[in-house]
Amino acid sequence: MSAETTDEAVSMVGLVKRYGTHEAVDGIDLVIRRGEFFGLLGPNGAGKTTTIGMLCGFIEPTQGHIRIGGMPALPRSNTLKRKLGLVPQELAFYPTLSAHDNLAFFGRIFGLQGQHLQSRINTVLAMARLDQRDREPVTQFSSGMKRRLNIAIGMLHEPEILVLDEPTVGIDAQSRSAILETLQQLNRDGVTVIYSTHYMEEAQRLCGRVAIMDHGRVIATDSPRRLVRSLGDGIIEIEFAGPPVDACVEKLQALGTLRFQREDRSAFSLQAPEPETMLPRLLEVVRGFDVSIRSLRLLEPNLETVFLKLTGRQLRD
Amino acid sequence: MAMLSQVGAISVKELKILLRDRQALALLFLMPTFFILVMSFALEGVFEAGTRSRPLEILVVNQDRGDLAQKTVKAAKRIGGITLVETGPSGPLTLEQAEASIRKGTQRFALVFRGDYTERLQGATADTRSATEPRDTAALNTVQAGRAGEDQPPAEHAAISLIVDPAINQQVQTVVSGIVSGIVERMRLATQLPARIQDALEPIADEIPPADLAGTGVDELGEPAAEIEKLIADEAQQITLEITPPRGFGRERRPTATEQNVPAYAIFGVFFIVLTIAKSFLRERLDGTFVRLLTAPLPKPLLIIGKLLPYYLVNLLQIALMFAVGVAVFGMTLGSLPAFAVLSLATAATANGLGLLVAAFGRSEAQVDTLAVLLAITLAALGGIMVPTFVMPESLQMLSRLTPHAWALAGYQDVIVRGLTLRDVLPETGVLLGFAAVFLLVGLWRLRLN
Repeated sequence: MSAETTDEAVSMVGLVKRYGTHEAVDGIDLVIRRGEFFGLLGPNGAGKTTTIGMLCGFIEPTQGHIRIGGMPALPRSNTLKRKLGLVPQELAFYPTLSAHDNLAFFGRIFGLQGQHLQSRINTVLAMARLDQRDREPVTQFSSGMKRRLNIAIGMLHEPEILVLDEPTVGIDAQSRSAILETLQQLNRDGVTVIYSTHYMEEAQRLCGRVAIMDHGRVIATDSPRRLVRSLGDGIIEIEFAGPPVDACVEKLQALGTLRFQREDRSAFSLQAPEPETMLPRLLEVVRGFDVSIRSLRLLEPNLETVFLKLTGRQLRD
Repeated sequence: MAMLSQVGAISVKELKILLRDRQALALLFLMPTFFILVMSFALEGVFEAGTRSRPLEILVVNQDRGDLAQKTVKAAKRIGGITLVETGPSGPLTLEQAEASIRKGTQRFALVFRGDYTERLQGATADTRSATEPRDTAALNTVQAGRAGEDQPPAEHAAISLIVDPAINQQVQTVVSGIVSGIVERMRLATQLPARIQDALEPIADEIPPADLAGTGVDELGEPAAEIEKLIADEAQQITLEITPPRGFGRERRPTATEQNVPAYAIFGVFFIVLTIAKSFLRERLDGTFVRLLTAPLPKPLLIIGKLLPYYLVNLLQIALMFAVGVAVFGMTLGSLPAFAVLSLATAATANGLGLLVAAFGRSEAQVDTLAVLLAITLAALGGIMVPTFVMPESLQMLSRLTPHAWALAGYQDVIVRGLTLRDVLPETGVLLGFAAVFLLVGLWRLRLN
């Protein structure tokens, strides 16, 4: 299959990144198709940023191969570089310059010139809703505006594949919503989007498929709906005032998969396919042992509970 | 109490952060230690130059047809503060050998006793010098003379010449000329005075018994005493210590203080760009803009060139501005413009290379700040920017040759102070470009952009 006709936007085979004895990425195999909105979901330290670094070429893999648009990613040609757009987690621009100057600079670096450059600057400024303040120094922008500019720079040269690393960290709901809408529109226009996040809601809302990552490995890959359906039991989280007696624990374990969240066993999560029907039974057990409940939370099946089921930890841990 | 606890918590936190940046911490302690060592050793040379513990080396060229030059040298050897070198590899030093040593920069001073030194000292010949400077009333005149051209030999009118490297600053030169003047004057008095007193007293010699002369003040002698003073004063004007640069330098006059100092100040300023460059690289690395640029179709060397180019131009502008002030305000001359331009290009390249090197090794802002300042100041001190290298201890002189500052300064002094041309400064330019190449290559190799 030729590079032009392949359906594959990105493929990674046996990808490993080792720093000394620490394996930041431990053998990733992934195929991302053209036009997909693909999510890399995992807690901080799962290896998402390192994977993105290797994909975008600024981190050298220890082992494994990457193909972009059907072509080997190494050596990285300029044509290949133009196919990718990166939105790093950091606010990667020059804060003392204006949004326009930043865009003009990065545009020229990516080979845009003259009218075409100006037209692209205008387009992305409008998409990022920064066109009214494009001549102000970026230092005067709000966090949300800075995040939007960060994304605008990444999509300025019209990449076929846009890679975003936690692009909505630390911003308000309104800006987040605006960013997500923009990205959905880009994806509808045919851009392949690879989106790294630890926000389950974002992955669930945006991504056609997600790869759930933990400790440098992909532990599940599928569409959010299928992952939830197949792995997504509901979760009941309970915190007691003190550790329950062993007999109580035994009875609780009989109800479903029990995972302790503290060493003194005073907090745990109970996994069950239908947590609503499980809840009255659980309360009945607890009542029988005279233990007081400090807090109780019922989680519907979602990517968060999928992650919890797969790893025993929460995404935000 | 709560406030104290808060202050304590903040201090402990700061201390922990500082302790974790061990390289920065080490530099913070190393910098003052290194600075104290370098500056103390270097400045020691200035304050002690011309003393018994740090004698100044002076070449001696003896062309005297009589024996008084030899006696003067012998007398000079008994005093501290100078070391006289009379012989070269093939016997007594010649004028050409002494001048060549000064031109090469291996020696700074040469004392030349002319053929008629003995006669002059004995007062047998008249002074024929044509120096335009007003004569002072000192017993031994010191005049500054320039050289009209390469082929003209040192002035023959003076009985004694001190050939001085024009790059030597006035203070050190004054020390040396003072020492030489003192010795020659003592020798002159020892030679002339007995005969002059004898001559003056001749008309009244019969009236004063010789035994009484020893215990009598000369001023008590009335008319004859005035005659002696007149004779001493007249004779004094016949002995001239001429201070001159060696032949082969294109200068027609002594360099001014500005001409001597501006190159040093300029080099000092140029190398401060190291801090600006290193901080700029660090900022891009921390902000993640380098990561973005690494994903662009842009080779790493081009990225580095693009980043360094403005700083290079700033350096050149700095040099132009500093020397323009010297020219416009103090009337200094630049000498050969092609030589000046080539040296400036090489010096700025070296400073930029050093900036990249610091950027490559500095991992935090504290490290970059300390390393850059440490290098800017200690390299300047070692390189002779603050004090001339020849007054430093031997070990520091060796070290100074490992600094780009020393080579840049030598180059600028060749052009501005010694009046040399492009061909003459090619060695210094080559060494500077060598420094630049090493700094840039190691910097490129070690620089992490993400």
